[in-house]
This record gives sequence, structure tokens and C-alpha cells, in this order.
Amino acid sequence: MMLRLLSLPLLLALLGAPVAHALESPPVKTPHAEVTLVSETSAVAPGSSFRLGLRFRLAKGWHIYWINPGDAGEPPHLDLTLPQGATASPIAWPTPQRIPEGPVMTYSYVGEVLLPLTVTAPADVSAFPITAKASWLICEKICVPEEGAFKLDLPIGAAGSSPEARIFAAADQRIPTPSPYAASLSPGAALTLSGADISQASVHDAVFFPGTWGAIEDAAPQTLTVEDGKFTLALKPAQSFDAKVALSGVVAITDAKGAQRFLAVSAKAEGGAADAAGAAAKSAPVLAPVGSAPTAKSLAAPGPAAPADIGVAAMLLFAFLGGLILNLMPCVFPILAIKAVAVAKLAGNERGAMRAEAAAYTGGVLVAFAGLGVALMAFRAAGSIAGWGFQFQSPTFVAALAFLFVAVGLNLSGVFEIGGGFVGAGGGLADRGGRLGSFFTGFLAVLVATPCTAPFMGAAIAAALSSTPIVTLGVFLALGLGLAAPYLLIALTPGLARLLPKPGPWMAILKQVLAFPMYGAAAWLIWVISQQAGPDGVLATVSGIVLVGLAAWLVGVTQMREGRARTLGRGAAALATLGALAILYGVATAPLPPAAALAATEGESPFSTTRLAALRAEGRPVFVNMTAAWCVTCLVNERIALSSDAVRNAFTLRNVAYLKGDWTRADPAITDFLREHGRDGVPLYVLYPPKGEAPIVLPQVLTASVIIEELDRFGS
Amino acid sequence: MQSLRRHLVLAALSLASTSLATLPSLAADGPRIGQPAPDFTGTDSNGAQLRLADLKGKVVVLEWTNDGCPYVGKWYSSGAMQQLQRDAASLGVVWLSIASSAPGEQGYVDAKKANDDTASRHAAPAHVLLDPQGVIGHLYRAETTPHIFVIKPDGTLAYMGGADSIASTRISDMQKAEPYAREAIEAVSAGKPVAHPVTHPYGCTVKYSS
Repeated sequence: MMLRLLSLPLLLALLGAPVAHALESPPVKTPHAEVTLVSETSAVAPGSSFRLGLRFRLAKGWHIYWINPGDAGEPPHLDLTLPQGATASPIAWPTPQRIPEGPVMTYSYVGEVLLPLTVTAPADVSAFPITAKASWLICEKICVPEEGAFKLDLPIGAAGSSPEARIFAAADQRIPTPSPYAASLSPGAALTLSGADISQASVHDAVFFPGTWGAIEDAAPQTLTVEDGKFTLALKPAQSFDAKVALSGVVAITDAKGAQRFLAVSAKAEGGAADAAGAAAKSAPVLAPVGSAPTAKSLAAPGPAAPADIGVAAMLLFAFLGGLILNLMPCVFPILAIKAVAVAKLAGNERGAMRAEAAAYTGGVLVAFAGLGVALMAFRAAGSIAGWGFQFQSPTFVAALAFLFVAVGLNLSGVFEIGGGFVGAGGGLADRGGRLGSFFTGFLAVLVATPCTAPFMGAAIAAALSSTPIVTLGVFLALGLGLAAPYLLIALTPGLARLLPKPGPWMAILKQVLAFPMYGAAAWLIWVISQQAGPDGVLATVSGIVLVGLAAWLVGVTQMREGRARTLGRGAAALATLGALAILYGVATAPLPPAAALAATEGESPFSTTRLAALRAEGRPVFVNMTAAWCVTCLVNERIALSSDAVRNAFTLRNVAYLKGDWTRADPAITDFLREHGRDGVPLYVLYPPKGEAPIVLPQVLTASVIIEELDRFGS
Repeated sequence: MQSLRRHLVLAALSLASTSLATLPSLAADGPRIGQPAPDFTGTDSNGAQLRLADLKGKVVVLEWTNDGCPYVGKWYSSGAMQQLQRDAASLGVVWLSIASSAPGEQGYVDAKKANDDTASRHAAPAHVLLDPQGVIGHLYRAETTPHIFVIKPDGTLAYMGGADSIASTRISDMQKAEPYAREAIEAVSAGKPVAHPVTHPYGCTVKYSS
């Protein structure tokens, strides 16, 4: 009897419990994820290959990282223990999402993701047990390292599909395939893919995921330009970027219907020829070198490649026109005061003298522009940021200009006459008759005109700066000719000169009247200082102006005297001027207040590249306004077009996000944004249509109808 | 003639000042190796004001930290970060630990907590800077905790990047990793060039506000 009792368990043991073959491991459950190891095949055929995958179901709001996690994070690790003789490939990573975390960009997965790999079974295998250890970093706002152990026991037999095969097929949709397109990389990190079937329809949007960290700035926006036959993504090179090292990664392409493809890409710069931009490429972000012409129908500022495409002759023409238009810009107006007085004085002169003075004026303008061009090129080559209008970003310069304008105004008002000291020499110089006066009038005109980047001018300068120095200089000189042209015309055409009124007492009255535009300009500059340096800056500047006034009066009151009085007067004036200069020094070295926000109105957000990327990722249309306190064109546009009810309503209706970038003190992120759109100064208005379409650059002289027209093109 | 010369000098000066006005500009694109490290003034956990420019003449290390981050945890629970801080101090290096987490976020510390943490984990920084507004963090584009910057005595940046070469939370990986931060500190202190001046900073993201 006992034997029978014993034999039953023995019998059972001999028979063995039926072996359970699972195709998905028991899950590892953590607070934020459920993870399993899963097989695509229902059985392992000896000598064959099949796929395993690490399957993640992530809690809402939590993400794990791609093989290149981006600026922060860590990819999952998997350690497989397979039967002897079996081998495993590395994970074939599906393409992730770009997920910004504050100012950094990460490449991660949300929701459900499968990380597949291929296993090859040896020919002589009789059982296929698998154990695995995996660890992963899972993050929401904070990061938690998690890990788990997995066990699978696959049956040997004819290969078939496991129930989980469908999730492998889903993962396959996002695993990159080798790119059918030829890829090339510019020294400025612009990635170009060429292929016959590329068009605006087949490449509606594209994004590049770098395979390793360090080559490009992950958080920077990637501007896409598409033409028939190729498309280019303008990437931002990181400090370690080397165009000669192959840049590998994945390009995700979305076509006009929304279908996506993921291509594995590797590109490096063509060896040899370094172009003009190439030398500077390592030290500063630069515009991409000359590419071919962009599609005619895209209004979009085509991106870095375009400005250099214009062709030298066109560049010069645009520069000339830009200079002409500068005469009309609000910030050149104060100089008209000086010019008009000078012209009034000419009316009584001989034709020859008139021509000589016009030539001198033109000379002054050209010398100033050439000087600016040379200085700009020098600083560009040195790799620092130097955008058009840079002078106005320094409160010291603005204050100094305010002092100068007040001094000129005082001279025009008759407080003192020229010939006394160096105070008011600017206005005194310009006010001075003859060629020298005209020369300095021209000079002064250029200094004041620079912040108003007129249409054509911005693109022409940006283009010029990426060309050879000779072309750059040529563009600047053409600008100068444009600015000087009206004055030259009057001088050279006797008919026009005869239209000028004859000299008389009216000239003295005119001179005094024209002092007021100078005071007005000084008032505007004080407002600019209030934006840049706050109330303290205003107090300092106004105090300086009082000192300048004192100096001017001292000079004026002692001018007519002889000997000691005159010397004393000059000395005291010098002291007052030194006081004003000391104030300038104080303004220069004072700690700047936190960047004063330009009066933010409802519905505006400050510009940042991550905010822009996030809004675009949401599919919202975005309107970007790059402005600065000292840019009068910008302020005029804001007061007239952008504040109009029609535009505000249109923005609300179409859920347009409004991002405003304040360049009053030269934010480098904004400078880069300007360069990416081929501009070197403000204003810049870029409209990003919804669903990630290519951006449209709006004209610098905005009207409400222009904005609304572009908005209407989106459809709803 | 005299006034003509004066006027020409003035013209030259005005052109020069126009050019010079570009100089006060900003570091392009955040800190760069070989360029002056951005200057800042911070408040340390003892209430003292500290300005980077005042530390010229010494090697300075900036270490972004967050005591809740598992990567920082790896470095401190193993004692490796504290050892590095002590070794650096013996070389005359000024070590600044910087907490840029916003209030309410992981890693935020007030002065008392910062000092308590330093004591309890036996850390040895010269100062712990409290940067809850993220001003210094954004100035340096600090992305992760830890994120290490090494500044030469002349004020230029010599190293920016990870504490070592293996991005993981496992203490065992630290033995296998190349100790980038230690190497940079030793190289700069000895006046030698840094072998890997720019490396991948790994860790949790810095918990800036919003």
C-alpha cells in the first residue's frame, strides 16, 4: 500500500508537468511602466533568425529615451542571455519624438513602444530559454531609473507568427530604412537630400534626429526648404561640429497627406574647397553657402541658402534702392534738418561749388558706409555677433547721440555759433559750410540711419556678408549711393537747383525751426534709453544733456569776447563736457536692469526657440515679431498694423500664437533666428502656418491687409 | 588748419566708437571653450555675494546639482563627488556647487537645506550658490545635473560637459568610465591642455521654472 502511495507522485514527476511555452514574458510592473520581453515568432526553427522585443507600456506623461537621448536622459539597456551559439543584433530603434524639456531637447518615446532586435538560433538547438535584464530611465518631470528581469522559453519548431507579431509590424512603421536619397552636408550644418521624387507634395515637413550627441544643437529649430529634386534642413552646428565627420541620424519626412517615412541618413561635407563662409563655420554660426534658386512660388524667406542666390548685380541694385528708401525712413528725418539747412545755404552759390559740396556729402556717406562694412566684416570674421543696427544696442552710444543732437539743436537755436570748441562739433561740423560740412553731414546721416533696415536692405546685407569682401564692400557702397542720391541729384541738375528758394531772412528762421526735429530726436533717444537702462539711465542722460546745455551756453556767451574771458569760457565748457562724458561712462558701466519687457499686450508671449518648437509641434500657427526699442519701423508697424482690431481678431479666430522677440540688447538666440531667415536686423515678421508648413516672411513695412491675406491662405 | 585737424580726429573717433560699440556684446550662443566664461554674481548658502570675476587667478569649477536626481545620487552616495571636491580644493581650485532648481521642483534648496545637505553628505564645495531663478543656469546653458564647467585662472572656459564618460546611474559604471571632470581639473591646474574639452553632459534635466 505504501508503495502505491509513493508511486503516484513518482509517476507524476516522471511524466513531468507539461512545459508552458510563453511567447511574452511575465510583465515587470513599476510605478510608471509595464515592461515585457516578447517574441515575434511562435517557435524557433533551428538555424533561423527571428525577432525579440522589449515592450514598454508607459504611464501617461512619462517617457523613455532613444539611443541618442538628446541633451539629457539615458536610453534603455538590455542584457540578453541566450542558449549557446545563439547571437543577438543590437536594438533596431524606432524613430522617437522630439520632446523639449524646458530649454533642452530630448528624443524620447511616450505611450507604447517596442524595441526589437534580431536573434539567430544555432542549427543544433533543442531548447530556447532566454533570460534578460533591462534597465531604463523613465522621466516625467523627475527621472527614475527602473529595471527588471525577464524570462522567456520559446518552443522549437517551425517558425510562425506569435500573437504579438502585430506590435512588431507597428514598430516597423517607425524603424528607419536606408535613405534612397543622396545626402550632403554643408560646412554650416545644412543637410541636403536629393532625389527625383522630392517635391513640395512629397516633402511637406521634415525633421532630423542626430544619431549621437554633440554635432548639432538639438534644441535649435530646423528650417526646411523644399524644391523639386531636393530639400534642405538648416541645422545649427554645436561647438564640436566638424563637417568632415559624417553626420548620421534619421530624417523623418511627412508628405502633404500626412504619411510619414523614416530614413537612415549619413552625410558629410564634400572634401576640399573651403568657401568664404567655411573658414568662419567653426567659430560662429554662418549662413549656408550658395545653393540653387528657390522655387519661385514660395513667398517664404527661403532660408540661409537664398540670400547668396540673388546674384551680385541684383544685390547691388537692391542695396541702392534700399539706400534710396532709407531717405524716407522715420529715423533719417532729423538729419533732414541738417541737410535742408545746408541746401538752403547752397542756393546762393555757384553751380560748381554746389556740385563739389554734393560730392563731399556723397563722400561722407560712402566713407561711413565703407567704414561700417569693414567693421562689420572684421567682427563677423572674429566670430562675434554683429547685426545691423548694433550701435543702438549700446546705451552709451544712444546717450552720446542724444547729447550730440541736443548740441546740434542748441547750435541751430543760436545758443552758440561754430568755431567754439569741440562741443557740438557734430552739428557744428555739419552746419559748417563748404565741403567739409557736407562731408560730415553725410557721415552723420549714415550713423543715424542704420537701425532702420529698409526692405531690400536686410537681405542684401545678409547676402553680402556671406560673399567675398569685395562684394560686401560693393553692397555697402551701393547703399551709400542710394542714400546720397537725392542730394546729388539736386546738385547736379541745375533745373532742380533753381527750384530752391533764394537766400534771405527766412534762412535764419528755418535754421531755428529745424532745431526742433533735433530736440525731438533727442527725446526719442531718451525713450530708448529708458527701455535699455531704466529710469536711472534716463536721469543720467538728462543730467548729461543739462551739462551739454551748460557747455553750449558757456561757449556761446564767451565767444564774442577776447582773451581771458574766451579761454575761461572754453575751459569751463570743457569741464562741463567732461562731466557729460563721465555720465556716459557711468551709463556704460552701470549694471543693466533685467531686460525691460517692451509693453507686453494681452496675447503676446516672449519669443524663445523652445516655445516656438512646442507651438509648432502642437500644430498651431505662430506669428513671430522680432523688434527692438530703438527700431522706429518696428514701432510704427506695431502701432498701426499689429495693434489694429482686424489683425487682433484674425489672430484670435485662427488661434495664432503671437511670439515677440526683444532685440533691444541683442539676444543671441534672436540674432541666430534673424540670420536663419537671411536678415541682419529688425524688424522681422515670420508667420508659421498651422500643421508645420513652411514659414512665410512678411514684408518689413506691414499693413493689416498683408497679414490678413496671408492668414486667409491657410484655410481654416 | 588746427580746427580741421581737430575735426578729422573727431571723425576718426566717432567711427572708432561706432566699431567699439559692438564690443560690449555678449557671448555668442552661450559659453564657448577658449572664450571668457560668462560673468555672474550669485548668493551662496551663507548669504554672501560671490562674483565670478573676483575669482580670477584661481581655477574655478561649476557643478550643477540636484540631490533628488539619481545621477547626482550615484556621484554622492559613492563618495566620488566629495572626493573630487576635496582633491580639487587641495589643488587650490574654487568649487562652486550650483542649485538652479526652481522652488517646488526637485532639487530646490534654501540656504538652510543647502548647508544641511553639504554637511550630511560630507561634501566639500567652496560655496553652494542658490540659483532658484535659474539666472546662472540659463547663462551657462546648464542642461543636466550634474553638468560640470572648469574655468581657467585667466577666466576662459576650459571644460564643459559630463562628470565622466558613462551616462548611467550605476555606481559600477564609474570605475569603467573616463573621468572627464577630474582630468579637466587636473589638466587646467597643471597648465596643460584639456584632452576632451567638450563632452556630453548627462543626468536629469535642470528643473528650471515653467
